Amino acid sequence: MTAVDAERSLEEILAEYLNGRLEATGPITIEDMTRIAVGWSHETWLFDACWTDRDGEHRRGLCLRRDPGNALLRGHSDLAEQYSVLRCLEGTDVPAPTVYWHEPDPAVLGAPALIMERVPGECPSPWRKAGREFYAAAADRGVLPLSFTDALASIHTADWRAVGLDFLGVPGPGDDFARREVAKWRGFIEESGHPGHPILADLVCWLEANAPATDRLTLVHGAYRTGNVLVDDDRVSAVLDWELQVIGDPMYDVAYVLTELNREGTELLSNVVPRELFFERYQSTTGIEIDEERCRYYQLLYAMRSAAFWMSASGLYADGSNTDLRLARTEWSVTVALERAAQELGY
Amino acid sequence: MVGGEADRGLEHPDVSLALSEQLERLSGTLRNEIGPAVGDEYLRTQAFMASVILAKLAKEVALAPVHDAAERADLTELHERLGSVLAGAPADLVAAADGAESAGTVAALGPLVVALYDWGTDRPAAAEALSLIRIALRRDIDRRMEIAA
Repeated sequence: MTAVDAERSLEEILAEYLNGRLEATGPITIEDMTRIAVGWSHETWLFDACWTDRDGEHRRGLCLRRDPGNALLRGHSDLAEQYSVLRCLEGTDVPAPTVYWHEPDPAVLGAPALIMERVPGECPSPWRKAGREFYAAAADRGVLPLSFTDALASIHTADWRAVGLDFLGVPGPGDDFARREVAKWRGFIEESGHPGHPILADLVCWLEANAPATDRLTLVHGAYRTGNVLVDDDRVSAVLDWELQVIGDPMYDVAYVLTELNREGTELLSNVVPRELFFERYQSTTGIEIDEERCRYYQLLYAMRSAAFWMSASGLYADGSNTDLRLARTEWSVTVALERAAQELGY
Repeated sequence: MVGGEADRGLEHPDVSLALSEQLERLSGTLRNEIGPAVGDEYLRTQAFMASVILAKLAKEVALAPVHDAAERADLTELHERLGSVLAGAPADLVAAADGAESAGTVAALGPLVVALYDWGTDRPAAAEALSLIRIALRRDIDRRMEIAA
């Protein structure tokens, strides 16, 4: 049993929540509940809901994501927005989980929460040896590199206006998208309470002075890499982690695929795609030409974002909001991100 | 950075161990003895994280005297050179440079960097000043990486 409060387990609370949402003729039971470690933003639980109705017995794999409110992205990760995005994506070719319910009241499920489909697949961490071996083997077989590229292409070719994703905010013409992102992460850094460093001041000033114009707006995932996609039978079965999506420059995602930050000692982009194959497949599928100069700019923006993440994380420990020592450890990750920024700026 | 004086030994009539050594030993105990004995996965991870943090603090304490001295030397050299490079700069920029020099820390260079961008880094004097500051910042981050990496 998974303890939530002194009186009821999370299983019992979920069974009660689903009762009335599933057309069961008898009691609903929750089985095989497991908490999985995927990132530092939300709690993620996998479970089976079992019930009986007029058609017989059912067992459905579900996924619960709860926002404890003291995690890495603070107020920037909004389950209500994720719910809306996932609903919108149902009208596109983007492989994403079907979302069923959003519960904003923390009193109901212990924290604001989403319940969605449990998509088949696995999500090995590319930061671990086993994960890197998994992706290298898949790269050799040749299917996953194409599927990984195609899933990104499906995001960038989705008709975001038609499915209603313009609620995310539509940047103005020119350099508005880049400026918005710089301002967003600048605000995040200020919110963290971290004292910062002159390298960060240098980076932010450079980014503001060199913001590129965006010639085409698409849906942008914001963190597209291995580790944020589910893989089933060498294919991307679902793109996960819809926390940083924006309407913006598709090169923002492409830069994240190209960056060395997301491959550890391998030439394979995001640990899985040969560079040449990625360029050829992405450009032919989307009709969008990869602009490496703009990608370089966004790689600098990612250096800022990395610093912002780690400043936020260490700040959550420093101000007592979160006692997880992994967050305390990130004080030194800020240094690593700043060193990366200095390198990207050419010093 | 932890000040150099922090690495003095703990007062004891028989044993005096440098603070950095104390922290290093605590880290080793957590890593090799306490952590492996913890059954709960989350708490075991916390024990190992505590070990990592203590090891970094130990390094920071041990390196503090050398790092502090190097930072002072770098800043002295930087401000001497900035004085001549920014001789003809606008008053607010000179004030920012003076403020950074008075503070005597790397952190205080941030407002000066911002002031240089505001003035325009396409100006030769601003570009040269920024280049000099970046040399000092590179040395600073290299020192920090000795602990963080």
